[in-house]
Amino acid sequence: MKVNLKSSKPIFQQIVEGMQSAIAGGVYKAGERVPSTRDLAIKLKVNPNTVQKAYEELVRSGVLVSMRNRGKFVAKRAEHSATKQSELAIAEAFRNGVDIARASGLTNKKIKELLDRVIKASEGKAIA
Amino acid sequence: MSTVTQTETIAMSPKPMVPIDVEINGLTKAYGDTIVVDNLSLSIAKGSFLGLIGANGAGKSTTLKMLAGMLETTRGSASVLGTPIEQLGPKELARIGYVPDSHQIYRWMTIHEAVWFCRRLNPNWNDNQCAELLKLFRLDEKKKVKSLSKGMLAKLGLALALSHEPDLLFLDEPMSGLDPIASEEFLDGVLKTVSQRDCTVILSSHSIDDVQRMSDSICLLHEGKMLAHRQTENILHDTKCIRFVYDGNAEPPTLPSTIRSRNDEREWLITVEKFSPLMLEKLASSPGVSCVSVEDMTLEEVYKDYVRGQS
Repeated sequence: MKVNLKSSKPIFQQIVEGMQSAIAGGVYKAGERVPSTRDLAIKLKVNPNTVQKAYEELVRSGVLVSMRNRGKFVAKRAEHSATKQSELAIAEAFRNGVDIARASGLTNKKIKELLDRVIKASEGKAIA
Repeated sequence: MSTVTQTETIAMSPKPMVPIDVEINGLTKAYGDTIVVDNLSLSIAKGSFLGLIGANGAGKSTTLKMLAGMLETTRGSASVLGTPIEQLGPKELARIGYVPDSHQIYRWMTIHEAVWFCRRLNPNWNDNQCAELLKLFRLDEKKKVKSLSKGMLAKLGLALALSHEPDLLFLDEPMSGLDPIASEEFLDGVLKTVSQRDCTVILSSHSIDDVQRMSDSICLLHEGKMLAHRQTENILHDTKCIRFVYDGNAEPPTLPSTIRSRNDEREWLITVEKFSPLMLEKLASSPGVSCVSVEDMTLEEVYKDYVRGQS
């Protein structure tokens, strides 16, 4: 997990999404303990309050479970939930793009064409 | 272009209802006719981290020195840890840590002697904490202070400031002139300590990246004045640069919460503090406006636009 300071996404949100991807990708499995607030803050070089806020959000959305004096653990079925949350975040990013396209006066057809072009360009990059 | 001076009304801490450790009301410092800190007001909740960003001469060091009771104020008031700054005595000062950019440690002493000297001055000194920090920073107690590099000296200054377990820590450009590795190790020391205790921190720094990583809220200072005090997570989320082409005879449309507006021929760039997609729709439907787009900004760009929007 890395923090991108050039992104307009708040750091706590980057940590939430980074942890969801890590769980969806199997880095942390159901029932396993995730790093403590302090350890993750030092690893990412960010304020512990920011990590704490991200962990609270992950507990609220059911991805992590907090156990008193023992730390935070990946919830059962969290992989499924984390995948769903990742998809929601991606949909939100698409929505921002669509909002901008609409404001520039683009039609739905043109927006879909643009998205197709972006997907193709990204596949090209992946192969290269 | 007029600018907005913004202080967010929401609590400057992720935890609601926590006590306030630093309360500043109209704090001003002048030398004759020269005002170096101009009517500064803000509050910092216990356990939160404030970043001060500003060029040389913005008033960062003067503000910290006044808060630490090292410099008399001209006007206004401030209290730290519940005590007015003019009444700070040994008991309160023992709860405050101060790390300046140039370290006032006797150069002829060994590190062991410097530790012994500071230990005698601080009733709250924690030997274990000190030993841990010296180990973390790989500081050999037998070495003379004068033999230390700038980075090692900064780390010794931090170790001495943190060993009496302060409740309030002032870091006054402590990493200026340090190489990237030494800066990172310095920040690690700060993070390890503040994550152990509910310590309130004010960090003034030229490194905007470090301030962005570490701070709950950020205060932008320019020529003694506060341009903005906002929660870190909101600054980049809400501040955007809107670009459009305007081909009309009248003045181009204006946008609410504008920080800076400038144009190059027909292309206009407007930085707004509180972006909303509705702004794009409104602009796109204005006569003479075309090619409307919005761009994310880095914290450095936001800071520069706040400063340039002043002129």
